[in-house]
Amino acid sequence: MRGTLLYIGQRLILIAITTVLVSSIVFLLLHQIPGNAFLNETRQSEATLRAELHHYGLDLPLPQQYVNWVSGVLHGDLGESLVNRGVHITPLLLRETSVSATVGFFALIVTIGLGLILGVVAALRQNTWVDYVASSAAVVGYSVPAFVVAIFGLLLFGHYLYVWTGGTFFYSPGWGTPEQIPVPALALGLPYASYVARLTRASMLETIRTDYVRTAWAKGLRPRIVVIRHALRNALIPVVTILGPLITGIITGSLVIENIFGIPGLGKEFVTSILARDYNIVIGVFTFYAALVGLANLAVDVIYPILDPRIRY
Amino acid sequence: MAQAAPLAPEIEIAYEMPEQATLLSDAWRRIRRNRLALVGLAIIVVLFITALISIVWTPYPTWLQAVGPTYQPPSGAHPLGLDQAGRDILSRIMGGALITIEVGIGSAIIVSLIGIPLGLIAGFYRGTVDTVISFVINIWYGIPDLLVALILVFVLSDALHLIPRGVVVIIIAFSLTRWMDVARLVRGQSLALREREFVEAARMAGARDFALLLRHIFPNALGPIIVQATFAIPAAVLFEAFLSFLGLGLPSPTPSWGAMAADGYHGMDFAPHIVLAPTIALSLTLMAFNWLGDGLRDAFDPRMRR
Repeated sequence: MRGTLLYIGQRLILIAITTVLVSSIVFLLLHQIPGNAFLNETRQSEATLRAELHHYGLDLPLPQQYVNWVSGVLHGDLGESLVNRGVHITPLLLRETSVSATVGFFALIVTIGLGLILGVVAALRQNTWVDYVASSAAVVGYSVPAFVVAIFGLLLFGHYLYVWTGGTFFYSPGWGTPEQIPVPALALGLPYASYVARLTRASMLETIRTDYVRTAWAKGLRPRIVVIRHALRNALIPVVTILGPLITGIITGSLVIENIFGIPGLGKEFVTSILARDYNIVIGVFTFYAALVGLANLAVDVIYPILDPRIRY
Repeated sequence: MAQAAPLAPEIEIAYEMPEQATLLSDAWRRIRRNRLALVGLAIIVVLFITALISIVWTPYPTWLQAVGPTYQPPSGAHPLGLDQAGRDILSRIMGGALITIEVGIGSAIIVSLIGIPLGLIAGFYRGTVDTVISFVINIWYGIPDLLVALILVFVLSDALHLIPRGVVVIIIAFSLTRWMDVARLVRGQSLALREREFVEAARMAGARDFALLLRHIFPNALGPIIVQATFAIPAAVLFEAFLSFLGLGLPSPTPSWGAMAADGYHGMDFAPHIVLAPTIALSLTLMAFNWLGDGLRDAFDPRMRR
């Protein structure tokens, strides 16, 4: 227990360092661009521009700006929005993170649930039509990008379903009600679900041919017990190893989904801010994403030994 | 039985030299048996031909507006219909094929140009060089690539004064964030190949490091490199489409499939053909490259075959 805590502590420090490092690159890159958010404002005198630059500390030399920024980040303060004056970035992004996390959580359920079911069924019914349908669906699924799935989803749920059912079922893109969660979650999770399904099928096929599974059958155990308790538990190990990249993919994938479905999360904020040249928010969102990716991978590493007791630190 | 007669020719064949199988001819022989990969290859060939034709001829200029009523559904004169500005969608899909090819192939080349030398050197020299390169690769994997690429597109087009943004900026932004896969793969190959007898023999014969890397290690790692480069193509194509869909990629009159999907996005309820044509074309292209990549992987690495 003590060792695990120590390990988590070390990793947290490493994540903090990496986050600040990669965000620094973005900070320096964005401060190389000529022009800023204020250039878009037309009615502006020389004095107000100077006052604004001073307010944001943009009139300081770059090294001084950088030092201020780093010390801000280390205190959890990402500064103030350049476009919407007075809006502090950290609370804004924390609120948006909870929105993104909700979508991501349901997408993860779609990915793992659907992927496992398809993979296991395909493996158990190997070389039957069930297998062929599930495998083909997986092959198509992992090639169709999330944003195309999203568009088809919008078309199907937002338009055709409405027409076919005469208005009984209706999905309107956006955020706020629970009914608006499933469609984006499906679009975000589906491409990765097919990946999980392929992996599960392959490892399940290997596992059901092992001696101990045959023994379990020979003992006359019920099929459900054999499949779930004996075969699936071991077949899951390769799937667990891709959990890290999977979650990273879902986190960055939210960038796509949120912009299509109009979900007010981190991904939407990022694109809006880039277009508005609100560099402070762009850097802030990037810092959040970098930290999230690190934390997600840490969470997976902590869960590993619980799922596979052979792994120890 | 009658089959007993051709005994002599059989012996003759046994004495013949085995047919020289080059890397490519061997791979082609295996890939011919893979139906999915062949379908993928066929789609890619069609894509290439379409792109080539679009250079010299499209039914209408891709930028020409109001060739007919806006939002017109598919008809005889316009097989894929017209978009919200009355532009011929078939012409724009054809033009989009060229952009897709440019972005995909260009990115695959640049990614390889960055990843191969780094991977070769890291695997060959090991030690400090390897530690440094591997560290950079691992750090790079830790960053959200899509976000960096987005920022890079923005910064580069400003820094290079390339407004409107061009294909080149997208290729560079993509390659700078996704070179790690190739580098890591080549590093592993290089690490394994440097211990092999033929490399040892060449070194004994006095070959210098550069010659060893270029003549002996690189050619033997070519199979996996081609596979990895093939997988970079759909990733780059998707990246471009996504950027253009958000309005951060290629500027408006350019017939990018992503931008076309964005054009049709708002009229989806009453004119779904505008959004369907580019998204289907995009999905087919991505599928084709993924299938071909899977096929190539099985073909180049016999151990992977099931």
